[in-house]
Amino acid sequence: MRIRINGEERTLALNELTVTEVLKTQNVEMPEMVSVQVNGGFLARDAFGTTLLKDGDAVDFLYFMGGGAGQ
Amino acid sequence: MKGFATKAVHGPRLRKEAHGALRTPVFEGVAFEFDNARDLQLAFEGKKPAHAYSRITNPTVEDFEQRIRLLADAAGVIALSSGMAAIANTIMAIAGTGTNIVTSRFLFGHTLSLFAGTLKDWGLEVRFADMKSPDSISSVIDASTRLVFLEAITNPQLEVADLRKLTDVASRYGVPVVLDGTCTTPYLLKSRDFGVAVEVLSSTKFISGGATSVGGLVIDNGLFDWSRNPRLTPLSKQFGPMALIVKLRREVYRNFGACMSPHTASMQSLGLETLPLRIERACANALAISRVLASHAKVNKVNYPGLTASPDHALAAMQLRNGFGAILTFDLASREQCYRFMDALQLIRRATNLNDNKTLIIHPATTIFADYTQEERDALVSDATLRLSVGIEDVEDIAEDLEKGFAAL
Repeated sequence: MRIRINGEERTLALNELTVTEVLKTQNVEMPEMVSVQVNGGFLARDAFGTTLLKDGDAVDFLYFMGGGAGQ
Repeated sequence: MKGFATKAVHGPRLRKEAHGALRTPVFEGVAFEFDNARDLQLAFEGKKPAHAYSRITNPTVEDFEQRIRLLADAAGVIALSSGMAAIANTIMAIAGTGTNIVTSRFLFGHTLSLFAGTLKDWGLEVRFADMKSPDSISSVIDASTRLVFLEAITNPQLEVADLRKLTDVASRYGVPVVLDGTCTTPYLLKSRDFGVAVEVLSSTKFISGGATSVGGLVIDNGLFDWSRNPRLTPLSKQFGPMALIVKLRREVYRNFGACMSPHTASMQSLGLETLPLRIERACANALAISRVLASHAKVNKVNYPGLTASPDHALAAMQLRNGFGAILTFDLASREQCYRFMDALQLIRRATNLNDNKTLIIHPATTIFADYTQEERDALVSDATLRLSVGIEDVEDIAEDLEKGFAAL
């Protein structure tokens, strides 16, 4: 399936993956600290393992504790 | 990891440090470089966990923030240069000109000065209510109210409000409760369990590990729907429950520049590791000393939530865990007696801090409330009251020194 991750088109081998699996397969840095938006809506942390992503979804991984707008 | 003490020692262990260092190094650098322009862009957009500039984020400070987040089971934490900076930044992010906040008259003197002086001059209205009375709070909340603020244990009145009742009232009006947890910390009071939206505290006190450094914390428990606050509605649409943290990190905290230094964060992370041990000792000492004072012929009154005679004891026992705090007050016959008592002490230090490792004493009326009119002061504290911040010494030595004070009366 094809999904957009942080604005970039990605092709994944499987057709159904949970957010947790995508965090792993995409080597998202420091997954414990990331907040996830799926199609513009925030996802509760306890739903990462059960929320299935499908073809055409847009996923954003955002960091609020480190990084962010800077100098 | 389940236990507070284990979490306090090990932290969340988010990454392996350089050289396998067991303690997060002190990253004193100001700016951090990027391999390419795209990575720099992603960092600015919050899509890459990278540090750019230490006034906004820093690896050592972030480690401290993440340790607190783990201990408080919170959504987000920001460390600042002082407890007052934590309060000021929080109020300025949530409220503003033309709005009001509801609070108690029982506040740390500088907090009251910030609200009723500094922020009032910028157009913020401060409304006072009795935090022990939900009706009193309801009577002053209106559509322009942006938050209810109180201290977990007020200083020096040592009043304890029913947090669940208070957050229920505030919730009915769509208003968050901001709690100053300086005297409790998440070890004595888990504020999210009582519906508190945001906890602010001075990490200078219990957390620093012995008055090593000045610092403050904003802890967002992730419970409040920030879309109910007009200033945060746009950010809430974009960032959901992290709206306040983003508002602070990307605007208020960033622009006011009251950041915690990496060196302070390192010292306070070390302090955090022994927090449970120190608090338990200080609370046990405070309870023992309060009992000594309560039975002393020269003491007119003792106030400590751990004493069963305290009017707030049952409530404190329900809300607090692991102890009743380390602050107590006791009344002698007069101010003159208080001064003689203080001046005769040899171990206990005459100083204005609290929750240090050392036991400290102060006469609140003529120090903390020195700027107040006599009428204002009389409503807040007696002229015959002494405040004792009980430390972690051997309790027999504290009691023996107090006897030197009594012998001078």
